[in-house]
Amino acid sequence: MRKLPVYLLLDTSGSMFGEPIEAVNSGVQVLLSTLRSDPYALETAYLSVITFDNTARQVVPMTELSAFQAPNLTANGCTALGEALSFVAQRADAEVTKTTAEKKGDWKPLVFIMTDGAPTDDLQRGIDEFKKRKWGIVVACAAGAGASTDTLRKITECVVSLDQADSNTIKKYFKWVSASISTSSMKVDEGHGDVTGLSELPPPPPEINIVV
Amino acid sequence: MGEIVKVTANDGTTIEFDNESFASGGMKDAYWCKDKKEVVLFFRDKLDTNARDRLNNIVGLYRDRIFNQPGGEYWKNLFAWPTRLVEWEGRVGLVVPTYQKHFFFADGNYAGKEKNGKWFASAKLRNRHLRPEDKGTWLSHFHMLIKIARAVRRLHAAGLAHSDLSYNNVLLDPPGGNACIIDCDGLVVPGKYPPDVVGTPDFIAPEVLATRHLPLTDKNRKLPSRTTDQHALAVMVYMYLLYRHPLRGSKVHDIDDEKNDELLSMGEKALFIEHPTDKSNRVRPENLGKFELPQGDPGKLPYTICGPYLEELFNRAFIDGLHDPSKRPTADEWEQALVKTTDLMQPCRNPDCSAKWFVFDNTTKPKCPWCGTTYHGQLPILNFYYSRSHGQFVSEKYRLMVYDKQTLYMWHVNRFVVANEKTTPEDKKPVGDFHFHNGQWILINRRLPDMWDKTENRQIPIGGYVPLTEGRKILLSTKEGGRLIVVQLVNS
Repeated sequence: MRKLPVYLLLDTSGSMFGEPIEAVNSGVQVLLSTLRSDPYALETAYLSVITFDNTARQVVPMTELSAFQAPNLTANGCTALGEALSFVAQRADAEVTKTTAEKKGDWKPLVFIMTDGAPTDDLQRGIDEFKKRKWGIVVACAAGAGASTDTLRKITECVVSLDQADSNTIKKYFKWVSASISTSSMKVDEGHGDVTGLSELPPPPPEINIVV
Repeated sequence: MGEIVKVTANDGTTIEFDNESFASGGMKDAYWCKDKKEVVLFFRDKLDTNARDRLNNIVGLYRDRIFNQPGGEYWKNLFAWPTRLVEWEGRVGLVVPTYQKHFFFADGNYAGKEKNGKWFASAKLRNRHLRPEDKGTWLSHFHMLIKIARAVRRLHAAGLAHSDLSYNNVLLDPPGGNACIIDCDGLVVPGKYPPDVVGTPDFIAPEVLATRHLPLTDKNRKLPSRTTDQHALAVMVYMYLLYRHPLRGSKVHDIDDEKNDELLSMGEKALFIEHPTDKSNRVRPENLGKFELPQGDPGKLPYTICGPYLEELFNRAFIDGLHDPSKRPTADEWEQALVKTTDLMQPCRNPDCSAKWFVFDNTTKPKCPWCGTTYHGQLPILNFYYSRSHGQFVSEKYRLMVYDKQTLYMWHVNRFVVANEKTTPEDKKPVGDFHFHNGQWILINRRLPDMWDKTENRQIPIGGYVPLTEGRKILLSTKEGGRLIVVQLVNS
């Protein structure tokens, strides 16, 4: 069975300290409990969390939903988004099974990026590395006014923004991410193929703006 | 909780519902009726005249054809069929009976969730995520499938095709052996209402996928129909008995594009993973996760464990008829084969066996394929014959495996009695039972007025019994259609 790898790229820089990072922690919990009662997601989806502040790290490697332990994220430092992009590319090389003549590989990974500020490192280098790989849908979310949607546009066409980085809005965002993963796992699991655009995902709630 | 809104339905009755939607699907939003015995499903999009006309017929003419006939009551448990049409704020809604309680998980991690068929068709979900009490037995899966096949047979007999049989549209209750077809609003009527979906992948017939790129007007374009329902039904039977997909093997058709690879392996290039001669799409067990085993490996649990009747139908569905729709077995044939197969089943002697039942494999060393436990002792097999002309008996290739405390029914006794929705309450009563008593197998006659032991030429009175010994001939009824049993004993 092909698996559906999902990477969550989460900003843990200092500006996320307090309510936002707590909201992200509980958002990941909501995401897990939602997906764990969805038979399609349980069958195919795998999840990894990569955080970025002064540097990028994989807090949870690509793990089956039922074995996934939600991390407790803390926030400090700056915003190494560029590094996070090259890092997720490397992790995908290692963790995503490629199709060969002998074996069906995995579906293209889904990537959900969330950041609340401007990148403090060489973003372009990260983007170049990131774009050398094939991805399923890549959604970048600008949480609050500090993040530039124009910058995120360079990474992906699918950009959404949250007016507030408060706990309610962040929670809504994670619910939408869960619904999106559910939809994707249903589509791929049923052989429909990858989801590539926002239009194929469930419509986001009013708190989430689609940036066009 | 919103406000209660009152509307008048197409038949003049009043419907009261809560105007706050509690769930949303692909095309419709669901609202609770005040008494919670029904829900209203409102279409989000405007419907054209043709779509409205179809819905009118679904709640009217087609519903009458199935439910307002003798025996119509029977179908109420097998379909969640829309009963009325309503309109509210410019949207069209269908009033549908609430699904029965056993189609929701009662407790555990998924308490309150619908029992979507997906849960029960996947080895990984069964092995890793479901509790034993939610899984039912192998026999109860046969019972669910008999109901599904029967419901599809009924639709087809009414000139309708479901067009989207899938995990999502058939709710299951494995412990109770129940199944219910939902989402009946997409019904296809050949020549009248074309399908509005191609179906749900995993169940879409190969010819539909292979011609999906063609315009709707192209004469080579294949759309959902009765024969594609037959493919979906065959996939369902295979998946709910073997917990793997019959076409998902290891053959790679496109190395670079997974989406295209899927399209080819389910469509144009679809190939049965257990094809007897073309082995190119075999499952490679080494590529499977540990929770997908052992069910994922056809080498360990081949489709032949489902017995001779189903083996023949699987061959027709996935070998001869995979790319030739006219050769696919009908729903009626599936129903018959499933019913007959339950007569070949034996309880597994191993109390810890996950399947609890297996189909007798016609060998002298019966063994449960699920847990490997062998049967030791004597097993009676009753071969059925029917009388073509007076005193002349012909084999029916139909047999009944005996186990302790098993019951005999009228549909075993007389070939004109069929086990289906038309079986009368009188014919549903057991007429005899089997026991292993003092070291020998016996059949006790409970209700048969003219049962004869033909070997010793004596009548078996009601309350009397006949021992099941090798070669013994027992006439169950002297009436027309009455069957003769010839006993065969397997010693192992």
